[in-house]
Amino acid sequence: MTMTARVKIAPVSKSIRVNATQAHAFEVFTSGLGRWWPREHGIGKKPMKAVVMETRLGGRWYELSEDGSQATVGKIIVWEPPRRFVMTWDINSQWKPDSTVNSEVEVRFIAEGANATRVELEHRKFEQMGAEAGESMRNDVERGWPGMLERFKQHVETA
Amino acid sequence: MAYRNRFAALADPTRRRIFERLKSGPQAVGAIARRMPVSRPAVSQHLKVLKEAGLVADRPEGTRRVYYIDPNGLGALRAWVDQFWDKALTEFKAEVEMQTSERKDKPK
Repeated sequence: MTMTARVKIAPVSKSIRVNATQAHAFEVFTSGLGRWWPREHGIGKKPMKAVVMETRLGGRWYELSEDGSQATVGKIIVWEPPRRFVMTWDINSQWKPDSTVNSEVEVRFIAEGANATRVELEHRKFEQMGAEAGESMRNDVERGWPGMLERFKQHVETA
Repeated sequence: MAYRNRFAALADPTRRRIFERLKSGPQAVGAIARRMPVSRPAVSQHLKVLKEAGLVADRPEGTRRVYYIDPNGLGALRAWVDQFWDKALTEFKAEVEMQTSERKDKPK
């Protein structure tokens, strides 16, 4: 308890504008998750076969590996299509599935015209990722969580 | 805002390289600079920014000062998540706009 209360971490807030209707943006983000979710973002066993969102309150976001195993990323706790949803993010500070800890992700879809939608994402409550977050993260980074920064760099610089 | 700084700190490619270099363990400025295409003072400056952003920490070791990834690496965790979502949303935008133009939901 004392350790968790020690640090409050600012949420990660993102906003992106897409040329699509609110309903379509919501649909692609949720039931269409498997069509765009970056493969290298997998948290379960590799290789990842599919990533699935069960589009209902209480539904799971999970990964299916080639060997048939599943890894739950989180569960939907607010479901208000096509405006927003909130899900738990049951990933620990080593970026592994862990049902005992969670942060939280909210995604809002705001219509900004006939064919434009602003998608706002907030990933918050990192301090709930566990008292050992700092130490775990250090170990994780030192072991080299697979070159994420490097790939990100390549992506942004070639995009 | 501190969290802005963390993101900005890793947005710079040279700083990102320095940060990644420290994954292999604590290093002194000189050792980092030897394998970078920038001067030692420049590396020091980058390390200062990373330190202020909560991504790296330093300690004296003999006559030198060594830098390492902050063991309270919450800044690092958050910075990582930040970039994680940037990439994901970029992919999402590409997909949703492609789908819009096609007007068709194809199974993958």
